Amino acid sequence: MMRGIFAIVVLDLKRFWLDRARLVAGLIQPLLYLFVLGAGIGASSKMGGGDYRRFIYPGTMGLSLLFSATFAAITIVFDRQIGFFKAVLVAPVPRPAIAIGKIAAGALQSLAQGLLLLPFAPLAGASLNVVQTIEMIGAMALAATTFSTIGVAFACRFNSTTVFPIISNAVLLPMFFLSGGLYPLAMAPGWMKVAAHFNPVAYAVDLMRGSVLGVFFFPVPLSLGALALTIALLVWAAVRVFNRGEDDSSLGAAKFNFRR
Amino acid sequence: MSVAPTSSDDTSPAVEVSAVVKNYGKVEALKGIDLSVGRGEMFALLGPNGAGKTTLFSILATLRAPTSGTARVLGHDVVRSRDAVRREMGIVFQEPAIEQRLSGRDNLMLMGLLYGLSMSAARKRASEILGQLGIAEFAARDARTLSGGQRRKLELARALVTDPKILFLDEATLGLDVDARRTFWAQVRGLAESGRTVFFTTHYMEEAEVADRIALIDSGRIVALGTPQELKARVGGGIVRMKTQDDTKARAWLAEHGHVAEAGGTSITIVHADPAAILPELLRNLPVRVDRVEVHAPSLEDVFLKLTGRGLEGANKP
Repeated sequence: MMRGIFAIVVLDLKRFWLDRARLVAGLIQPLLYLFVLGAGIGASSKMGGGDYRRFIYPGTMGLSLLFSATFAAITIVFDRQIGFFKAVLVAPVPRPAIAIGKIAAGALQSLAQGLLLLPFAPLAGASLNVVQTIEMIGAMALAATTFSTIGVAFACRFNSTTVFPIISNAVLLPMFFLSGGLYPLAMAPGWMKVAAHFNPVAYAVDLMRGSVLGVFFFPVPLSLGALALTIALLVWAAVRVFNRGEDDSSLGAAKFNFRR
Repeated sequence: MSVAPTSSDDTSPAVEVSAVVKNYGKVEALKGIDLSVGRGEMFALLGPNGAGKTTLFSILATLRAPTSGTARVLGHDVVRSRDAVRREMGIVFQEPAIEQRLSGRDNLMLMGLLYGLSMSAARKRASEILGQLGIAEFAARDARTLSGGQRRKLELARALVTDPKILFLDEATLGLDVDARRTFWAQVRGLAESGRTVFFTTHYMEEAEVADRIALIDSGRIVALGTPQELKARVGGGIVRMKTQDDTKARAWLAEHGHVAEAGGTSITIVHADPAAILPELLRNLPVRVDRVEVHAPSLEDVFLKLTGRGLEGANKP
């Protein structure tokens, strides 16, 4: 089992390294939010430009982690199209090890992307001391794991990459917009506060924001518990798909169609 | 036929399929397949596209489960003991299963890891197998810089990384030119000679001829099974094939005079114990003009035609 997970992680990271240019490209979106959208909205908000940038820095970190983790999960769909995944499936690797390996590899890739964004914190007015940095990285690791689990739990149910833009717009963006990444949840309308309680991205962003600003919206134990629960549920769901016995090659994906 | 080095405690056949049926919804892809492949045998599953070759292959490769019936590889049930089967087999798929942007060595190394080798053992094994197949120079090259034939060799190396007892190949030479196909099969034949069981599917009849035994598959059924010689013997001594100005008229005349022309095909095919002896009479007496005539020993194509009334589509001679 451990060897299987290890093999899948090495496999994915080796290929990730080939695409390392993507890390740089992956910085563009969060930096746009931070310094362009942040400057514009900040100037017109009560917080003022500097404070607003500091406020949304953890939010853009969440955005970066969310999208890079989900993108890493898409490799499942690509692999299935080229037959590469078949070679993995006929290897004596327990199916749960494939699911967990994919999740771990995605989390590491996402964390790498996040660590690249970390040095921009002082530029956003969020200078971090050693303790804050450690807290922040811990929160980032937890967030990356959660998001990677979300990505894999989705990706293993699809066999075409064409649905990803839809997922990204219909699922990821709403999750981000409702997370409080760009505005304080405390001042948001009631329905948004309610929605936030069911949104893992909100808990993840809140933990990261807490490590930067020292102010939390959710109680820390609640955030940790909610993320742990999300991870546990989605790992279980992903493993179940990978474990499907009959017609293993489809990983259950062929069974997914819009009629069901 | 080469003899496999069998261990004393394990004498079960390399592949044993009994009464396997596979349905995809209402479509019956396999309608009850029985076959047995001995250890060390080189076995071909020959049939046209859509005959059920890849479905049967996928079942043996543990990628699909049969709707009913059982299949065993080296004595292990392909559904209940998937991991045991997976540990002992190497597979070359129709579609490429190597990462184009990684070197040959890295590709093989990663595969070794999946089979539980340590990083250093996997790397060592990768170099070893590349050397054995005479493609050591692929080690440092990215797979995408290799030609089609070279990539297939790398796929073969990938399948051999764990030194499997049985090698499965599914239409492994699809898209290769004749030369590349010939060298590929010479290499596989060599592996079979050294004691490995090889099970492969193809729709090229000349590829199937390198096998010890061939199963002809059509519409989800095995229609014939035997050595290439046995199969050809089913057709009889030889074949007269001719093209006339009016095939319908010629067929009628032939039937009248006691010659049996096979049904189907784009030309008239007559199977006879001694075709050379009847030819002069035919040419003299046929009431239609004969455009072309040839006499030859039966090929697997003829066997397939005789058994199914259809040719092996796409199985044209190179």
